[in-house]
Amino acid sequence: MGLDALFEAFVAVLNGGSLLYLMAGVLLGLTFGVIPGLGGTTALALLIPVTYTLAPLDAMYLAGGVMGATSFGGSISAILLNTPGTAPNAATCFDGYPLARQGKAGLAIGASATASAMGGLIGLFTLLLFIPVAREVVLSFGSSEFFLLTILGLAAIAVSVKGKLLRGLIAACIGLLLAFTGANQFTGETRFTGGLNYLWDGIPLVPALTGLFAISQMIELALKGGSVADDDTLKEAKNMKITGVGEGVLAVFKHWPVLLRGSLIGTVIGAIPGLGGTVASFLSYSSTAQTAKDRDTFGKGNIKGVIAPEAANNAKDGGSLIPTVAFGIPGSAETAVFLGILVLHGIEPGPQILLQNEREIYGLIVALTVSAIGASVLGLVFARVLILITRIDVNIVVPVVVTLSLTGVYVLEGRMADVAVATIIGIFGYLMIRFDYPRLTLVIAFVLGEIAERSYHQVRLISDGNVMEYMLGRPISVILIVATIVTFFLPAMRKVPWRRLTGRAS
Amino acid sequence: MKKLLATGATAIALMTGGAAYAEFPTDDNITFVIPYSPGGGFDTIVRQFAPAMERAMGTTVVPENISGAGGARGGQTVYRADPDGYTIGIYNIPGLTVNEVIGIDQGFKLDEVTWLANLAVETYALAVAADSDINSVEDLCAMDQPAKLSDTGATSTASVTTRITFGILECDIVDVTGYAGSNDAMIAVISGEVNATIKPITSLEKYLGDGGSGDLKLILTLTADEAVPGVPSATDIGHPELAKFTLNRVIGGPPGMPAEVISALEAGLLAASQDPEVTAWAEGANIGLAFIGAADTEALMDDLSSFYQQYKDLAAVAE
Repeated sequence: MGLDALFEAFVAVLNGGSLLYLMAGVLLGLTFGVIPGLGGTTALALLIPVTYTLAPLDAMYLAGGVMGATSFGGSISAILLNTPGTAPNAATCFDGYPLARQGKAGLAIGASATASAMGGLIGLFTLLLFIPVAREVVLSFGSSEFFLLTILGLAAIAVSVKGKLLRGLIAACIGLLLAFTGANQFTGETRFTGGLNYLWDGIPLVPALTGLFAISQMIELALKGGSVADDDTLKEAKNMKITGVGEGVLAVFKHWPVLLRGSLIGTVIGAIPGLGGTVASFLSYSSTAQTAKDRDTFGKGNIKGVIAPEAANNAKDGGSLIPTVAFGIPGSAETAVFLGILVLHGIEPGPQILLQNEREIYGLIVALTVSAIGASVLGLVFARVLILITRIDVNIVVPVVVTLSLTGVYVLEGRMADVAVATIIGIFGYLMIRFDYPRLTLVIAFVLGEIAERSYHQVRLISDGNVMEYMLGRPISVILIVATIVTFFLPAMRKVPWRRLTGRAS
Repeated sequence: MKKLLATGATAIALMTGGAAYAEFPTDDNITFVIPYSPGGGFDTIVRQFAPAMERAMGTTVVPENISGAGGARGGQTVYRADPDGYTIGIYNIPGLTVNEVIGIDQGFKLDEVTWLANLAVETYALAVAADSDINSVEDLCAMDQPAKLSDTGATSTASVTTRITFGILECDIVDVTGYAGSNDAMIAVISGEVNATIKPITSLEKYLGDGGSGDLKLILTLTADEAVPGVPSATDIGHPELAKFTLNRVIGGPPGMPAEVISALEAGLLAASQDPEVTAWAEGANIGLAFIGAADTEALMDDLSSFYQQYKDLAAVAE
């Protein structure tokens, strides 16, 4: 039975040696998370050869430690430097960075650490609840639901870029253009490759995101000079209590509906292969910002804007194990590498994985839980030191971050062309900052574009061309269509009746 | 020019009694190129073989992932390396064979590669949902609408196999491509999105009745003889040529490798394929190890090339 196995796994992990692997994973995950350009997938990919000599369970602990810790690590750089350490932390920049500039980095880090840990716990709890029906969950998400989810994500773009809709749409179109580069899955033809072999597999995600977020932000900082935190706030901060970490922790519990919603969005998106943490945290952020009463303060340092994406980002790890326990297929890039580690140890992942490899799966679940909490505790302890980064002269910060992130881009595949891509997109990203175009919009379209095209094509073939009829016959598809319509028209619907009502009342 | 020089150097080395290669393979580390990312099937088998080769040959074998361009980039790296035996690679066959036949420039020619061995062979089968009314290929082809099959990319080996197989059977189908992985393609059959799929038998096994989850059943194996009890083979349905479809994990090196280096590597790979750790792993991970030596691999590659040449039009992606 599941619970017994879970308790056994908890006891097993407390064994001296195992805990050591887990903690090593946490430290590695935090480090890889903090450094822009390096992320969980890179860390796990680099670890594969190392795990070869380990026992399967120890390999799980190491992998789980890394998976659970990277997303919180990435939020630290998002808050302090406006540079997401990993792509899913991009949404955390919106409100995390303004908080840091106001001298409230401690508050933001405290909230991020707590939201990460709680989100991770809720995601894993949801996973445990879903294990008995995991098969049904996976089988009810087909090509039609994949397609509609991408449309929901794209619709959220349009409403989340308030005030600069045109710029948002332009950025999204560029994102789609980048997404469609490379071999077409249906015809095998190559598109927009300009004859370069390198572009056959499309524009690689990690170099593109590193350029767009890390490199561009460093160019911006270098040109601005000074330090991250405003000079004025620095002067004030000297007289102020500098941390505020405790307040951040409390803020998460105060805003528990935000935490809960973020965690649920994260779990659901995590369960859908291919969508990943970036979409999860973006949808969580945009839905929170859309429905909040104080939505005008989002983007200016609203703590809920930190809690929502971070909760979703960590909950996604639990969700991404739903397809794994159901059919032995990965729900995220990280779980894909994790399943690769199993194969390396002579274990074939399949639909019986939970029956045949209970120890490994529960080992991973426990490792993820302990890691999410461990990373957050470490983060809280070191928050005081970390926020000093915002006061360091950018002449020191910029070269360090640029070197580390370009090295990370190179290490992943060992291709110099990846570094070139990161640099070119970095310069492009700086122009986007300079002319006030939203970068996250481009990324969401970039991530979703290929899945949208692919799944639409599949639905068209499966439904013999009657796409609408086919979709309307599937309950989850109908729910997603309604959600998309609501997302799209919510701002308009809310504005008109409210104004009239308040107008009459006064 | 570089190749000419290399050939020249090889000739001189051979004339001087192979002195330059006398130390092979202990002069240097052997770099084993994997043209795909870590964690996949090709990566895994190389990482299992590498330590066993080290034990057999007394040298260090370093797996190196050089992914990109559908495996072409890793293949190019091996192609351009010195033919001294210190750089070898694993090849996706017939994936690369098909690409070459339909005229995709991969930056190297397969018939110039020095073939060393074939490590594993997988055979294909046609599967439908266990609770489906379809019980034979005739049932599948007699549906009102053309049957739908699921695959990953249109240029994937399974998709090419599917198109050629049903072309030979003169049966109209729709191959729905774009699934994220072969497992996802099989799950699409279970969920009823598509009617059937052609996949390696070892991948299908975990979804079958015996020891698997019981979600799928086989209605045909693309093998010459009966491979699964009670399931008709290609010969049984009168198309023995369908047994030519296999998925091979082949090892090769740069053009113009000297004979003694070839035999040293061939021996090392053979010893590794019999290593107890490797065989135990293969059993657990359900990998069909099937060692074929250098000469036979060379013949197999030629044979496959002319086989796919025959079905060039079916192999090319329609639309």
